[in-house]
Amino acid sequence: MAAKETKFKCLNCGHEYNGMYDPKNVTERTCPHCRSNSVRRPQDASAGEEK
Amino acid sequence: MMTYSEVESIAGFVGNFHATIRKKARYVNPKECTACAECTKVCPVAVPDEYQQGFSSRKAIYMPFPQAVPSSYVINMDNCLGNNPLACGKCADVCEKHCINYDDQDELVNIEAGIVIAATGMDVYDPTEYDEYGYTRFDNVITSMEFERLICAGGPTAGHFIRPSDRSTPKTIGFIQCVGSRSRDGRGNPYCSNICCMNTIKDTLLLCDHYPGIEASVFYMDMRAFGKGFEDLYMRSKEEGVKYIRGIPGEIVEDPTTRNLILTVENTTTGKREEHELEMLVLAQGVIPRRDSDQVRKLLTLSTTSDGFVMESHPKLKPVDAPTKGVFIAGCVESPKDVKDSVTQAGAAAARASILLNAGKTKIEAITSGINAERCNFCGICAQVCPYHAIIAPDRKAKRAPVIIQAACAGCGACAAECAQDAIIMRHFRDEQIMAQIEAILERDPHKHLVTFACNWCSYAGGDNAGTARLQYPPICRLIRTMCSGRVDEKFVIHAFRLGAPMVLVSGCHFSDCHYISAVQWTQKRMDRLWNKLEKLGIRPDRLRLEWISAAEGQKFARVMRELESAVKAVTTEEIEFTMKALAEEEIRREEKLAKRTVGV
Repeated sequence: MAAKETKFKCLNCGHEYNGMYDPKNVTERTCPHCRSNSVRRPQDASAGEEK
Repeated sequence: MMTYSEVESIAGFVGNFHATIRKKARYVNPKECTACAECTKVCPVAVPDEYQQGFSSRKAIYMPFPQAVPSSYVINMDNCLGNNPLACGKCADVCEKHCINYDDQDELVNIEAGIVIAATGMDVYDPTEYDEYGYTRFDNVITSMEFERLICAGGPTAGHFIRPSDRSTPKTIGFIQCVGSRSRDGRGNPYCSNICCMNTIKDTLLLCDHYPGIEASVFYMDMRAFGKGFEDLYMRSKEEGVKYIRGIPGEIVEDPTTRNLILTVENTTTGKREEHELEMLVLAQGVIPRRDSDQVRKLLTLSTTSDGFVMESHPKLKPVDAPTKGVFIAGCVESPKDVKDSVTQAGAAAARASILLNAGKTKIEAITSGINAERCNFCGICAQVCPYHAIIAPDRKAKRAPVIIQAACAGCGACAAECAQDAIIMRHFRDEQIMAQIEAILERDPHKHLVTFACNWCSYAGGDNAGTARLQYPPICRLIRTMCSGRVDEKFVIHAFRLGAPMVLVSGCHFSDCHYISAVQWTQKRMDRLWNKLEKLGIRPDRLRLEWISAAEGQKFARVMRELESAVKAVTTEEIEFTMKALAEEEIRREEKLAKRTVGV
């Protein structure tokens, strides 16, 4: 699966933004608003990938 | 020594590497070739000479460079007319030794090696994107590499320094420093390329020596002459009359009549705007990782820094060891450096390698993974996770537990964290040991504590850094050290919440600093799964946090603690109780499901 644009949400400040996500090459996420790394792909974006 | 060859693949581990090397076809027998150059005289094809930076041409049959080893000609088949069908064949006709073989083929050579030293070097930055310097527009703007060829006795002009537009020797010349280095505007690279200042100083001295009276000006932001004897060289250059102007030119235009270059620069020492008319300009281009460095990284399972250079195992204690055991690094593959530093590092790498080779055996850290074959369900996820390819999983149908090569295992623990069957035992960081730490932390006043998992190399050291720097932060965190954040199992986090933790923080190295190549990627994936799981159970996902904190980021560690103090206080007793209840119920459901499955079996 190639990289695709996904919505990310910062759990620290609640800021939402769009970014690229490639499941084969996961990269570091940083909230552009508060610089926190607690940035989550909301559940609908990651559905079906649970262990 | 195998020159004109490429490594195709490397497998194995310390003491047992198997490398496949492609020896490229030369079409000239190097054992017979006497480098008489008769072939090149008759070759009708002329193409730009890459070694001479395109200032002169070479033939299709050529010596790659004067000191090539072996001293033999090669044919570039992309340029040659004489192959398939034979259309030329002039070189073969004149070769008295009959060295030329148009049917030569690449050869694959397999070698066994105990140690691998990566010394793959670097590339130079292409200044094209700095359009204001006019590198692609003005003939008399050249790079420092092109300068080297022009001033070299073995170069296209036999060392007579001329400017490309009219082949006259320039009387005024300028050098612009830091082209593609120390840049924060999105062009070039943010790091210092280390060698450019001294290279320019050397170039100015050469010019002053060869052409007394030449006016040389150097435009710089900082001159860094830090090595032994370097300051003396800098002073000598100044004494020779070279002008050092602190300021990087903003604009360069060309006089269409004289082809001279007019620079506009703010001299930051005087604070005045200056204009300089120069006959020639040299861009001191920076150093970049080799363009094929990604292939080298994959071949040797190395990790790289954010700059793209290979990361060492430890910057102070193991500066020439790669994170993969049995692999050492030397030269610019690790960072930009000059010849002296490269030679020093190569010597150190060879010495480190000889220790292992002479011993004939290697000692490994006891922190490695082991398999409990009885628990294994042969899914093979552990082999997929391992950044070092230390786990060999047989085909699932074979129903055999994977084998862990202890010599290759680096002890990150990502396999143990990903194994859903708990079939992997991470020595010294066993599940029971970590669970016991969580229980001890939450034994008293659990609502006041932030359970923090910190990786040994970065975030734990970041916490240390905050302490030694006397930074103030609330004493809420209780640290649990793991070798890598990749070791933090989902069940550790769930266990902490089940015991009443208001919040959990998982912290590790930045992706570019990961001491276990790509293990942090698994941390991120696991966190995504955990956030989803918590949300499904009605627990706020933001009670689980993730922060990448490097060993130097004591400030960040303290900031995160300050931010999380208020977040911890905001978690109510009711919320904690609800979480404990929800997770207990989830555990019961899981056990019932497991029991049903067991009965079914």
